[in-house]
Amino acid sequence: MSKDIFVFIEFKDGSIRKTSFELLSKGKELAEKLSSGLYAVMLGFDTKGLTEEIKPFADKIISVDEEALKEYRWDTYTDTMEYLIKKYSPYLVLGASTITGKDLFPRLAARLDAPIVSDAVGIEVSDGEIKIKKPIYGGKIISWVTTQNAPISIITFRPNSFSIEKRQINGEIIEERIEINMDSRVNAVKIDKGGSKKVDLQEADFIVCGGRGMKGPENFKVLEEIAEILGGRVGASRAVVDSKWRDYEDQIGKSGKTVSPKLYIGCGVSGALHHTMGMDTSKVIVAVNKDPNALIFQYADYGIVDDLFNILPALKEGLKSLKQEA
Amino acid sequence: MNILVFIKQVADTEARILIKGDNRSLEIENKYNLNFFDEFAVEEAIRLKGKVKDSKISVCTYGGKKAVEALRTAIAMGVDQAYLIDNTDLDTDDPLITAKILAGFAKKEGFDLILCGRQAIDDENGNIGAMVAELLKIPHVTAITKLEVADDKKIIVESDIEGGKETKEVQLPALLTTQKGINEPRVPLITGVMKAMKANIPVVDPASLGLSRELLSRDASKIKILSYETPKGRPAVKMIEGETPEEKVKKLIKLLREEAKVL
Ligand SMILES: Cc1cc2nc3c(=O)[nH]c(=O)nc-3n(C[C@H](O)[C@H](O)[C@H](O)COP(=O)(O)OP(=O)(O)OC[C@H]3O[C@@H](n4cnc5c(N)ncnc54)[C@H](O)[C@@H]3O)c2cc1C
Ligand SMILES: Cc1cc2nc3c(=O)[nH]c(=O)nc-3n(C[C@H](O)[C@H](O)[C@H](O)COP(=O)(O)OP(=O)(O)OC[C@H]3O[C@@H](n4cnc5c(N)ncnc54)[C@H](O)[C@@H]3O)c2cc1C
Repeated sequence: MSKDIFVFIEFKDGSIRKTSFELLSKGKELAEKLSSGLYAVMLGFDTKGLTEEIKPFADKIISVDEEALKEYRWDTYTDTMEYLIKKYSPYLVLGASTITGKDLFPRLAARLDAPIVSDAVGIEVSDGEIKIKKPIYGGKIISWVTTQNAPISIITFRPNSFSIEKRQINGEIIEERIEINMDSRVNAVKIDKGGSKKVDLQEADFIVCGGRGMKGPENFKVLEEIAEILGGRVGASRAVVDSKWRDYEDQIGKSGKTVSPKLYIGCGVSGALHHTMGMDTSKVIVAVNKDPNALIFQYADYGIVDDLFNILPALKEGLKSLKQEA
Repeated sequence: MNILVFIKQVADTEARILIKGDNRSLEIENKYNLNFFDEFAVEEAIRLKGKVKDSKISVCTYGGKKAVEALRTAIAMGVDQAYLIDNTDLDTDDPLITAKILAGFAKKEGFDLILCGRQAIDDENGNIGAMVAELLKIPHVTAITKLEVADDKKIIVESDIEGGKETKEVQLPALLTTQKGINEPRVPLITGVMKAMKANIPVVDPASLGLSRELLSRDASKIKILSYETPKGRPAVKMIEGETPEEKVKKLIKLLREEAKVL
């Protein structure tokens, strides 16, 4: 039985998403252990250039380049993935737990009657058995799960779960032509891609998060500037979103997004459990708070007790000169 | 319109959760709530009923006897009827089995529209909605932030897409999962709570839903839990001292570069 691995590739604003390179990197490592092949699966329209970007990372690249796949839709994407999976019989299908991934993979799992593990953060192979690492209850518990009685398993991973390894595989491109039918019961009437914020919050390596201690929406400017210097994104606590200082899409926490950047800097965030559940898998956590007893210091690696209005301008200047030196 | 809402009772965020000696099961403190995202689904159903004549709302959960509390919360908010699909001795780690049971119930009950939460905040899978829709062969839209009724066969929904929003026309029957922002869930009135206390909540046997015996057996699960562990804690925080903000920031940047190696 084949132990091949599929990685579902996502792209945005004309480039491959970072999370897809992470999955390809991990996928190759797993494929080597399983002595199998790594397939990058690319669905879209007019994706020639993007396919080239993937070549160094996969043994084979399956490209389905059709106008019907221009925008993500559950119907066309589920049908196409089902077709490819039945044709190539992979053992694992890996995807990201992005908005697209969360929409597509459960439906695909039900279509194939296949097990799915969603929002995982790690995977290991030993003696041919896979072990998937998945936080539950807001990260209070880590579960290790496997799949059984199934020829194929689907797993989605949180962005930033794996590091990207540079490779030079120069994989072969397989172009698949498939007749694709749109489900007439669903019609997109308006697509608003939003003001394209450069980095996706869940994919960002650096997040500067503002809490109620920021005092007002106008003060987020300095956070924006710091995020810009770092090439990261601004996040927010729920108190900030509820006060309408920032949009809900910036919210980190239990009822917002779960993030695990390389560096999270919390400014004027108290560290309520509902918030920390969304960020405590970050690699390094820095907290700036004027209250030495703030809960967030229990989750942080580094803490500064001070008024953030003194610290943030200094931090901005410090990072700026660091960047100029580099 | 016949509206069906799926709800789940979940452990409160603050509930203490302990791993039992076998490392394969959990002990959860007795503090449970209606899942955060399901409140939006219940609320939206009630608003819809206010707009569309002759509507009826049923809620159901696949859970243990305790989950009746979550059903009563939904009745107190204003739904018409609640059902408990009893999972005593059946609870599964495989979301597809849960989805098959809920789909079986929907088929039996009949529906024009199914609403459920974007995800349960305990397992954070966000699987059930799209799975049930697939099993019922109906369209689904995840994470909706707006819902309007065009006519009795069509709705217009706005939902989250990568980096933005999309508006779609969807033919009924359909399944929608609710995202924060769609509404402000009401707090039940005392009269609602009284009504909920007295409401008769039928208990449904999963075996009555036309599903095969094998599906309901414990071996049906394609997901197997190997072990649970507590996450590795972080080392104690390093507090950065200094006379001036500039000095503190300088020390921080040095640590982030040389010790944490993230800059
Ligand atoms: C069901 C539910 C779901 C929730 N989901 C989320 C979620 O997803 N995300 C989330 O964030 N919250 C969530 N919450 C809310 C959460 O419990 C907290 O209320 C919230 O995170 C608090 O936000 P905050 O830290 O910004 O504000 P506060 O708790 O008010 O903290 C402000 C902090 O700023 C500090 N401060 C003030 N001024 C300064 C200054 N000048 N310099 C330095 N520090 C200063 C203060 O010392 C304080 O620690 C949820 C709550 C519930 C009940
Ligand atoms: C490692 C692991 C351990 C698990 N342990 C347990 C366990 O001990 N006990 C247990 O019950 N489950 C457990 N599960 C989960 C369980 O098998 C299903 O995944 C779960 O019932 C489906 O819910 P979800 O959390 O995946 O829901 P999601 O797919 O995140 O839920 C989306 C929406 O679907 C609806 N919904 C979800 N579940 C139900 C339901 N049961 N009834 C009605 N509506 C629902 C709600 O509207 C919810 O907002 C475990 C899963 C994993 C991966």
